[in-house]
Amino acid sequence: MHIAVCVKQVPDTTEVKINPETGTLIRTGVPSIINPYDHFALQTAIELKRIHGCRVTVISMGPPQAKSVVQMGLALGADDGVLLSDMAFAGSDTWATSYALARAVKKLGKADIVLAGMQAIDGDTAQTGPGVAQQLGIPQVTFCEKIDIDGKKIIARKLIDGGYEVVEVKAPVLFTMIMPKDYVPRYPSFLETHASLKKPYYVWSASDIGAEAQYLGLKGSPTQVARIYPPPQRGKALMTNGSAQEAVEKILDIMRKEHFIAE
Amino acid sequence: MPSMDPISRNLMLDSLKAYAKKHITNDFIREKDQANEFPAEILKDMYDHSIMGVHLLMIPEEYGGVAGGTYDIYRICEVLAHIDLGIATSVFATFLGTDPLNVGGTLDQKKKWLERIAKENLMVAYAATEADAGSDLLNLRTRAEHVLKNGQLTGYRLTGNKQWISNGGVADLYTVLAMAPGGPCWFLVEKDMEGFSPNKHEDKHGIRLSNTAGLSLDNVYVPKENLIGEAEGQGLLQAQAVFGYTRLMVAAFGLGAGWEAVEQAIRYSQQRIQAGSPLCDKQGYTHKLIVPHAVRLEASRAYIEEIACRLDGGEHGLQTEGAIAKYSASEYGNRAAEDAIQAFGGYGYTHDFPVEKIKRDVKITCIYEGTSEVLEMTIYRGRWQEHLKTRGRYYADIADEMDALHAKNPDVGAQAAGLALRALAAVLEECRLAKLTRHQTVTFKLGRLISMAELAYVFARSAAKEKYSESVRFDSQAWQAMARVYAREAALLIASEGLAMVLGCVDSAGNLSAAVNMDAVQAAQKGMTADMDLVAVKLKQTFKAR
Repeated sequence: MHIAVCVKQVPDTTEVKINPETGTLIRTGVPSIINPYDHFALQTAIELKRIHGCRVTVISMGPPQAKSVVQMGLALGADDGVLLSDMAFAGSDTWATSYALARAVKKLGKADIVLAGMQAIDGDTAQTGPGVAQQLGIPQVTFCEKIDIDGKKIIARKLIDGGYEVVEVKAPVLFTMIMPKDYVPRYPSFLETHASLKKPYYVWSASDIGAEAQYLGLKGSPTQVARIYPPPQRGKALMTNGSAQEAVEKILDIMRKEHFIAE
Repeated sequence: MPSMDPISRNLMLDSLKAYAKKHITNDFIREKDQANEFPAEILKDMYDHSIMGVHLLMIPEEYGGVAGGTYDIYRICEVLAHIDLGIATSVFATFLGTDPLNVGGTLDQKKKWLERIAKENLMVAYAATEADAGSDLLNLRTRAEHVLKNGQLTGYRLTGNKQWISNGGVADLYTVLAMAPGGPCWFLVEKDMEGFSPNKHEDKHGIRLSNTAGLSLDNVYVPKENLIGEAEGQGLLQAQAVFGYTRLMVAAFGLGAGWEAVEQAIRYSQQRIQAGSPLCDKQGYTHKLIVPHAVRLEASRAYIEEIACRLDGGEHGLQTEGAIAKYSASEYGNRAAEDAIQAFGGYGYTHDFPVEKIKRDVKITCIYEGTSEVLEMTIYRGRWQEHLKTRGRYYADIADEMDALHAKNPDVGAQAAGLALRALAAVLEECRLAKLTRHQTVTFKLGRLISMAELAYVFARSAAKEKYSESVRFDSQAWQAMARVYAREAALLIASEGLAMVLGCVDSAGNLSAAVNMDAVQAAQKGMTADMDLVAVKLKQTFKAR
């Protein structure tokens, strides 16, 4: 089986702050990392490779420095890597990105499984993975935490409210991955990183994947971002203690004081 | 070896940081520090090529390594020092122990031993120091006697004691300096060789996660193939050949540990409210305890990077430069950590906050790989020769370069750096005319002034670049302000201390007072407070409270 894993380079949002005056992100000195959900998708693919001998291709789209996440995929065990990098892609929203990634997957030939993170931590849209499935015309199973292969069946454990579903599907199929609680991200050793330089790595432009310019970049993006702003700060929570009776009394006092209820 | 591509280097740095975040927590470090315990399991992972394999940086690709260059090693050393300087020292000891092989080993020796170090994850120790041979290695007492069979040399018997050897009690392989009949040599000694035994683990002031022990060698038989280079008398040359970059590694330690302390203080200062506002908004606090250290550490960074790039570009030696880098970064790191304790107030004085441990740790960088005083002398010696050879033009020419840079870019402190360099040239010349270098104190002080002038020069040049290196976490506005602050400080200190030093030795300093151009140096101080204000704001933005 051939698995294509879509990964994205994102700013480490734990380090990002918003400039309160301009409402823009302060990116200076903020490190770039692999999107954590994609990291898990990648590890899932490598694990399937270890058990079933699948071929794994890691794909990303971004500026030249996004090579980093592709190389990390190669270092962790992917067989080959592709970076979609072209000014024509700049400014693409989730629709245009899905289109480009789907074109790249098609160019790879027959990918039996496409894996992607549930969402990227910079935009939190959770649209790109499903978008790729739609563009490829293949089924999708979202919010998965485990994938197994049993002959021709692919079995996914999909998280739902209050539990999980076990879904059996046939290839080709796309899964988006969440991160299970016990997941420990693995990082490559120095030797694996060094060895990854010898693995096949390709940079594809829009024309390499046969993408039409009208569907790419800002022009091909139906989404328009009007404004980015931090959500208004919530008031400080007040905790009460004591017995239930005492706590209720205290809460009622506060509500009276704040005029939520009549005196 | 040239440095590797930035993406590979940063992936390795990320792996190291991720490992540390998970396994080397503050609580873990504190526990081991208090117990004076070597974290064997962490170092095992560090050397395990399937987990981390940090030691592979020093090993060429053909022997199973990843062939790191000086720039790569500087970056890794800085990150290790941010994590824990004891663990960093343990890794460094293997780097250092591998060096004599890299520099002086025969091809067969490199193939055999470097491959073993790479594949068997061997921890190495560098055993040079003895009770009476620290900075003065010529005083070596460990002896290597010939062992002959049928008149043919088959090996050596090593007898003596080594002291303060990092990894001394835990290494698998030791490179041991001993005096053979033909002069000092490096020998490869394996831990289980008969007659070899490590002594007790030292109870140290800092770097307590690093194992340090003496070694006893009692008639240890070493086959002749274990003599590095297979020729006697090369030991000291082999040791000195690598001082340029081994000292750069310790410079990176001073930089990393110093910055870790400053970063912690900056984050804390945003949370600590006193008299109605956070400490980070009080000039009396930031401009004394934070900003000067951030500036000096960044000046050191600029210098370390320049020397690393020159070494990676194929230049050899650079011993004076290595000494300047190590001397500056370690002294600045030490002072930064000292003030970080002050910046935390009473909290800083407790074991609950990491800055006091950093302070204890970073002090070692002023001692090992050449004490600050030995380095002051080394720096003075190197540059004094240049001053004499060029008839005083050495620093005057660099000052001209700074003036030209200032004409092109007035924002990087090049003018003040030029004043610093000219003042230094004047002080050096006065020392020559009045024969003041007969006073040892003058030579040491000159070493310090030379270091400041060269850092100001390199910082101004680096701040003028269009693109900064990957390690610079500030925008050009901040880094240029830092370069200006440093150049002003250097000019003022060199002019005033240089003059005072000369006046302390002679009845009259001739026209030195005019030659150091104190009026211009004072005039160049204009804008200092505004620049420090700017740096304080940028530091707060870069290292936000967590």
